[in-house]
Amino acid sequence: MENSDTEMGAAPENEMGAFYIYEAPVRLWHWINAASILVLAGTGLLIAHPLPSVMGEASHHFVMGDIRFAHFISAWLFGGGFLIRILWSFFGNKYSRELFHLPLKDGSWWRSLGFEVRWNLFLEKRARKYYGHNPMAQLVMFTFFLLGTLLMILTGGALYAEALGGGSWADHLFGWVTPLVGQPQDLRTLHHLGMWIILVFVVGHIYMAIREDIVGRQTSVSTMISGYRIFRK
Amino acid sequence: MSETVYEVMRSQGITRRSFLKFCSVMAAGMSLGPAYVYDIARALETRPRVPVLWLHGLECTCCSESFIRSSHPLAKDVILSMISLDYDDTLMAAAGFQAEACIDAIMEKHPGEYILAVEGNPPLNEDGMYCIVGGKPFVEQLKHVASRAKAVIAWGSCASWGCVQAAKPNPTQATPIHKVLTDHQVVKIPGCPPIAEVMTGVITYITAFGRLPDLDREGRPKMFYSQRIHDKCYRRPNFDAGQYVEHWDDEGARKGYCLYKVGCKGPVTYNACSTTGWNNGVSFPIKSGHGCIGCSEENFWDKGPFYKHLSNLDGFGIEADADTLGAVALGAAGAGVAAHALLTGLRKPGKESDDTGSKGNEKI
Amino acid sequence: MSAYETQGFRLDNSGRRVVVDPVTRIEGHLRCEVNIDNNNIIRNAVSSGTMWRGIETILKGRDPRDAWAFTQRICGVCTGVHALVSVRTVEDALGIRIPENANLIRNLMHATLYAQDHLVHFYHLHAMDWVDVPNALKADPRQTSAIAQKISRWPNSSPGYFRDIQNRLKKFVESGQLGPFTNGYWGNPSYRLPAEVNLLAVTHYLEALDFQKDIVKIQTILGGKNPHPNWLVGGVPCAINIDGDLAAGAPLNMERLNYISQIIDRTITFIDEVYIPDLVAIASYYKDWLYGAGLSSQNVLAYGEFPDRANITDPKNLLLPQGAIINGDLSTVHPVDLRNPTEIEEYVVHSWYRYPDETKGIHPWDGITEPHYILGKNTKGTPTNIQELDEDGKYSFIKAPRWNGHAMEVGPLARWVVGYALKKPEFKEPVDKLLGTLGLPVTALFSTLGRTAARGLEASWAAHKMRYFHDRLMANIRAGDTSTANTDKWEPSTWPREAKGVGFGEAPRGALAHWIRIKETRIENYQAVVPTTWNASPRDPKGQIGAYEAALLNTPLADPKQPLEILRTLHSFDPCLACSTH
Ligand code: HEM
Ligand code: HEM
Ligand code: NFV
Ligand code: SF4
Ligand code: SF4
Ligand code: F3S
Ligand SMILES: [Mg+2]
Repeated sequence: MENSDTEMGAAPENEMGAFYIYEAPVRLWHWINAASILVLAGTGLLIAHPLPSVMGEASHHFVMGDIRFAHFISAWLFGGGFLIRILWSFFGNKYSRELFHLPLKDGSWWRSLGFEVRWNLFLEKRARKYYGHNPMAQLVMFTFFLLGTLLMILTGGALYAEALGGGSWADHLFGWVTPLVGQPQDLRTLHHLGMWIILVFVVGHIYMAIREDIVGRQTSVSTMISGYRIFRK
Repeated sequence: MSETVYEVMRSQGITRRSFLKFCSVMAAGMSLGPAYVYDIARALETRPRVPVLWLHGLECTCCSESFIRSSHPLAKDVILSMISLDYDDTLMAAAGFQAEACIDAIMEKHPGEYILAVEGNPPLNEDGMYCIVGGKPFVEQLKHVASRAKAVIAWGSCASWGCVQAAKPNPTQATPIHKVLTDHQVVKIPGCPPIAEVMTGVITYITAFGRLPDLDREGRPKMFYSQRIHDKCYRRPNFDAGQYVEHWDDEGARKGYCLYKVGCKGPVTYNACSTTGWNNGVSFPIKSGHGCIGCSEENFWDKGPFYKHLSNLDGFGIEADADTLGAVALGAAGAGVAAHALLTGLRKPGKESDDTGSKGNEKI
Repeated sequence: MSAYETQGFRLDNSGRRVVVDPVTRIEGHLRCEVNIDNNNIIRNAVSSGTMWRGIETILKGRDPRDAWAFTQRICGVCTGVHALVSVRTVEDALGIRIPENANLIRNLMHATLYAQDHLVHFYHLHAMDWVDVPNALKADPRQTSAIAQKISRWPNSSPGYFRDIQNRLKKFVESGQLGPFTNGYWGNPSYRLPAEVNLLAVTHYLEALDFQKDIVKIQTILGGKNPHPNWLVGGVPCAINIDGDLAAGAPLNMERLNYISQIIDRTITFIDEVYIPDLVAIASYYKDWLYGAGLSSQNVLAYGEFPDRANITDPKNLLLPQGAIINGDLSTVHPVDLRNPTEIEEYVVHSWYRYPDETKGIHPWDGITEPHYILGKNTKGTPTNIQELDEDGKYSFIKAPRWNGHAMEVGPLARWVVGYALKKPEFKEPVDKLLGTLGLPVTALFSTLGRTAARGLEASWAAHKMRYFHDRLMANIRAGDTSTANTDKWEPSTWPREAKGVGFGEAPRGALAHWIRIKETRIENYQAVVPTTWNASPRDPKGQIGAYEAALLNTPLADPKQPLEILRTLHSFDPCLACSTH
């Protein structure tokens, strides 16, 4: 790879041109994932804080039922998409694997991380270029998004198992999570907290994506749309 | 000379017919099919009454009180015909050393055959002396009696989880019994208190079949604890419809709407209340208008407040729950982003307006 | 200190020490030690509460609206009483007024507990002190039947009925597995009932066991479960809907009210036709066993209970009386002020707690509960294997509450003595009638048996009051009032920054009050002074003894190896140790 003369993942200072980084499955997943998370957070909040009551016969309404249904549909998209995304990392290009590992043993990665921190503290003059994720993005995606997602899938699955009851498939798959995290109310609390972890990530992530586009020396948002990374001078 | 349970029941004026009826009530009480009626009958016909030593630690005795409320079987019939309640300081005639002698006698005569039933729990602080029995720490008595027991039952949330005395800051270091009797499979019957018919149902199962019921991951009998209150709650249609009690005694309260918004813990509580009901099925907390407080769950006292859906989280000041924490974190993230954006705009770093350089070479 | 005088009693611990631990057929863990002289007469008595859970400590920092649930778990036998007093405490602190219906429903639930708790105490916790169970095998069921029919209209009274029970008992005894009756003091000369009455009592032991579970269904309907029904600050959670939309799904509707009504009728019948006649029949054989007066003839205390109208704590509005009697002077009933900082104080000099200055008492609003387990230097045994306590040191987890410096007896007898002294016909007439039937003077009231009798009379009183509260509730609903909760001050944002309150009432075992301080919407301090804290109290700095210790004095033991008389007198108080120490 052409980055042998520079820090890990970073492109040479004078690298120019367009590079195909995010293949179609990654891009598709990214946007489906983003949409499902927004629906999950919205419906999740409505599960925790239901809408004002409707009056009349119970059989004429299904407000909470619909909200939960939407939560579960998007949970399937979110969870299923994540599984497929994992599978894809075995087939896709090397950038499709960045999300899943941190090259902690790689000194150059750490130096790049240091650089990015300084850059974001306005201590560096010029941005660096990266083909894939910059190390800071990678770190944040791993800790907040990846672990957050695992947390949400495991706790959400365990919550789902509660509704299906002891002995159900979901109970076999996720039932062990509950005693691990405490008891059922702890499970809820954790699932709820997990949402905030992911939402904090989303805010920072979108900001950084747009910011890189504007002040960085490479495309960002459009990369996640077209797949191409284009470097500027 | 010991008689079998059947003989004793017969001798007490119970006819064969009502004996079989009793067996079928028991089968129904344990959610077993009619095929089991004869299994139960056969079991009761061949076994002498199982000795039960019922110990009391730190507790409020509501588990005993609940037990004597059992309707099917009647507590009277359990005590006279199904088990031999050889020690229970709440009910027994003897006191002092004569009471303690009852324990020794059973441990000598029936090693490995008696059931140890524990109500309450041992405190471990102060060398166990926050609960003293016969001048010694209760925890000693507990371990001693457990040493030769065939089975150990933890009655109620005290024995199963620690319950109210183990709520923060747990000044006595009250400890659930499975953490003290680590060599034993402890059958947990949590609840504060547990439902009477659940208690007698478990006793009946063990005495009739001579084995422990199937237990879940937590050691609770699956037959009574594999579903949440919420899953069989008769107000569940209102939950799904979006019909809630918003305030006490409002229109929703009078129509029996769902209590979720006033803090019902039914969605996080495994117990049989919404199926079995309380006091012979007369009602259960939700049916009487108050949310479930989660009384059969571990540390439910520290998952409050009882009137809010979200738990308070410790160590974050007053009234902090997942949402206050989350909103603060999100607000901080938003503020950080805004400040960073502002600074970025002010400094205009590195933006050399030359972004023409696409070379078009698609390297991967 | 081998001998001294206090409160008109002479204490002498030079004689042989007899230890009873565990004291059974009570709630919780109680140890009793007495010294007997050469004639086996009790000359010194020591009552020790041997459990502590720290519920007052656990309450700190919590939401005051949750407190009822925590305090309710102080006891599952007098279930609900701490919850009731707790919601009153919080309402007092925050100035919350409850609807009339809520007051009536609370009263109905509370009276239900009185009926059930007293009934269970009499038959299942106390009866075996007077009734020789195996001796019932010697009875002639025909004679038992004759006795039963003479003293009551209760229909289960045929010779065949008693014979069946006798046979059941016989086979049970013959099985060799005596269960809870193992090692009882059967045959002790202190038992005086003829076999026929023993059989009657054993039969009703079983019947009462079956019936008590039905009484509490009223609490189940109104509070969702029993033990430990649900309560609510500001009212009650069971909303009423009689003929509106979806009334069938309402917690309290016509069907539920009828269910309650039917249980009330059966409760009145059972208590008046089984409990009371049995009590009289048994008492008539123990008329001269008049030991155990203790403090009852001197100092008794009652706070009053069952507010007739909601939100009025004035004693005139309370159906059970309020007042204190001092030095046996029945002509003066002193008022009681729970807010007065010097009237009620708790001491810990002989209790396993620490105060900055243990010579002084502390009013519960400033109460401190800091455990401190140390034994007196004359204790026999080790700190984890106590053979004999040293009552000169600390010896109990129960604090020593005092009213204007006096140790007081509380409970049914105290309430009925106060009612009697106030010459309220509701209390005076049944007492006089009972004493007349037994041919005993008023002074016989001050005894172990008097305590037991007062409880029986009160059970009947409470059962009839259940009917009264139900009728009042129906009348209110008929008048169009279906309100059950006041939520004006439900939200903590409506509360003052700091508040303090006291809630009181009468639990089955006696006067009960909780004190709270609220700061910034959380509990800053919470203190309970409980009936059994009063009665089972250890000594105070002046050496004054509590009601249990006093009542045991001067009682002869027929057989010092069989503490039957000790149990008799202790049980007459219906000890609740989980309550006393909390
Ligand atoms: C980013 C992903 C997710 C977010 C933000 C999210 C958010 C939430 C929130 C806020 C709640 C309400 C919790 C409370 O009661 O306080 C909730 C409930 C729930 N979530 Fe999720 N969730 C996510 C993923 C999932 C997944 C993957 C599942 C798996 C099936 C799932 C299943 C559930 C279930 C079963 C409930 C309880 C619903 C009920 O009891 O009615 N969630 N979720
Ligand atoms: C719920 C919302 C979102 C979530 C959870 C999310 C999550 C992610 C994740 C996990 C990746 C890494 C992809 C991979 O390596 O496979 C990523 C990349 C990216 N996302 Fe998002 N995203 C969200 C919304 C957005 C939005 C709204 C934008 C555009 C404004 C955006 C722009 C990007 C870009 C530009 C990248 C590539 C970053 C890079 O090149 O280093 N994302 N996102
Ligand atoms: N309060 C209270 Fe108590 C006490 N002492 C009451 O009757 O028993 Ni469990
Ligand atoms: S579990 Fe609850 S009901 Fe049972 S003894 Fe403990 S506090 Fe009482
Ligand atoms: S009342 Fe409670 S248990 Fe019943 S449906 Fe509502 S939340 Fe679930
Ligand atoms: S509070 Fe307890 S009694 Fe049942 S409904 Fe909830 S588990
Ligand atoms: Mg106290």
